[in-house]
Amino acid sequence: MKTQSALNTYIKETGGWVASQLEACTRCGICADACHFYQALGNPEYAPVWKLEPLRRAYEQRFTVAGKLKLALGLEKKLTDSDLEHWSKIVYEACTVCDKCAFVCPMGIELGLLIHEVRTGLAASGVVPGDLAEATEKQKTLGSPLGVTDEMWRERIDWITDEWEEKIPVDKPGAETLVVFTSIELMKFPDNLAAIAKILNKASENWTTSSTGREVVNFGFFEADEELTKLFMYRVFKAAEDLGVKRIVISECGHAYEAFRWTAPNIMKVPKGIEIIHITELIHQLWKNGRIKIKEGAFDDGVITFHDSCKIQRLGGLIKQPREVLKVLAPKNFKEMTPNKEQAMCCGGGGGVISIKEAEANRYAVFEMKMEQMQDIKAEAVCMVCSNCRLQFVDSLAHFNSTIKVHSLAELVSKALV
Amino acid sequence: MDWSEILRFSRGPLFHLSLIIFIAGMTYRLLRIVLLGWERDRTKRQGSKLWGTILNYLRGLIILPFIPWVRRTFRNNALTFIAGGFFHLSLFVVLAFGAAHILVWQSLCGISWKPLPTPIVDWLAAVGIISLLVLLINRLTHPVLKLLTKLPIWINWTVVFLPFITGYIMTHHLWFRYEVIFSLHMISVCLLLIWIPLGRISHFLFYFFSKTIHGAQAGKRAVTP
Repeated sequence: MKTQSALNTYIKETGGWVASQLEACTRCGICADACHFYQALGNPEYAPVWKLEPLRRAYEQRFTVAGKLKLALGLEKKLTDSDLEHWSKIVYEACTVCDKCAFVCPMGIELGLLIHEVRTGLAASGVVPGDLAEATEKQKTLGSPLGVTDEMWRERIDWITDEWEEKIPVDKPGAETLVVFTSIELMKFPDNLAAIAKILNKASENWTTSSTGREVVNFGFFEADEELTKLFMYRVFKAAEDLGVKRIVISECGHAYEAFRWTAPNIMKVPKGIEIIHITELIHQLWKNGRIKIKEGAFDDGVITFHDSCKIQRLGGLIKQPREVLKVLAPKNFKEMTPNKEQAMCCGGGGGVISIKEAEANRYAVFEMKMEQMQDIKAEAVCMVCSNCRLQFVDSLAHFNSTIKVHSLAELVSKALV
Repeated sequence: MDWSEILRFSRGPLFHLSLIIFIAGMTYRLLRIVLLGWERDRTKRQGSKLWGTILNYLRGLIILPFIPWVRRTFRNNALTFIAGGFFHLSLFVVLAFGAAHILVWQSLCGISWKPLPTPIVDWLAAVGIISLLVLLINRLTHPVLKLLTKLPIWINWTVVFLPFITGYIMTHHLWFRYEVIFSLHMISVCLLLIWIPLGRISHFLFYFFSKTIHGAQAGKRAVTP
């Protein structure tokens, strides 16, 4: 029964776009070397191509002569419930859907986006790790994966307003910019929320938050449950339409940016004339346009590096913007890790992995590689633009007793405002 | 056994039948993919899809194959990159610039061109054979490849290796009578042609799909593919 739901989903999702890429694979295995989970843990089942098995088998057995032949000759079996359980562990707990594999595949197969399709089938059949499903359910019923209710949200916003003495408008009529934060910022990194407020207030931006569209994180998108993905984005789009804003600013969340910027228009009706922009892009614009001024060399004391988030840099294209800002903040001491930019290695906590307790060992193992990259350039601090990455960095650095400091770009900029 | 009769059959009707199966099979697969339906991409672009695609082909076909070591994945996959690269080069040169193959092209399409000097083609054929052996050993030992390699992949390897090795033996007049080895070469080529539409050797066609898709994806997001 479970398998049937997965199969139906795979068959529904398989258009020429998916099929042609599955056909192009030569089984060369090079994608394994892009995968931080395979690199760190050495389990061959973590090779990105292997993560596509359920989708490939469903496709071949339904649509291709070779697939039907293999089935008839007993060379391959139909998918079963236990197969789905098996791949659920691999695809949710050892993959952050960072898409690095697509950038090393000699054939250019978009493995990350295809793994998202694999997750779609698993979500449809309900084979999702418990912790992830629980957080998703919380977002569905309470409005936030961390269980923040409307009341808690208001209290927290009021507290941040008082504590940092920054005005945070809520449901402001006539605002042009709607900023949607993550629960992670709200609950774990309130300094980041305050920093963004400070920057926007300093730039005299006509902005607001919304009490109904208040969560930008999309656990439906982590699970790859299409209906929930749409529902969670709909809440924000609805709020934006009701407020009549011109643009939605996605705060520091990579997966949310991917969902709003690159996925929404293809899976749902999006309000016309509302621009989707990431906070990194906005800060960069405000600085370029002279609406905020940053003190040069404000953080030039020790080596500082930048961590590229998979969905914001590699897949979002916001590669030069944060670097331009960082080179002003730390002209002498800004150093790149290797690899970087499009080829950068993921933090290991994205794609919902950090919310799954059972994936903890995987995520720490991956982070050790990231830590080596930082140690190689003797970094004393690291900056990033994704609060999910930040959570992984803060938690893992503490786990390994490292003294490297973690900053968000907004936080650094807000402290360097003149 | 009358080998000259077998040769006549294998380079005549069998070869033509195999070609027809190959072309019909690949056409079927191509149409199947195209007709599965393609959704329009409604997202707002940040960069040019066309430029991303062009850049992706430039990198994949012209730049990176000649400087593979700049890729970080090269370190752990040197064998796959080097042997894979030389194998494709060898395949291309032997098929397109071997004197005997040019005659086949001429009989099929009516056009011909100047072959490369025999020693060059000959050496490259040997390189192709060695590359295939290296790739085989790699496939037998690499943990990920062991997991990925099922019967069809072994068939792929075999049907590619046979034409190479029989062709090489034939041009060097080793061990077999001419009609025998020529027949074996033709039969193995026919096997290859019939197998291609069923297996993953067909990647030479789908390469253009995935490469274009990735290039366009990278292009619209304004990143280097």
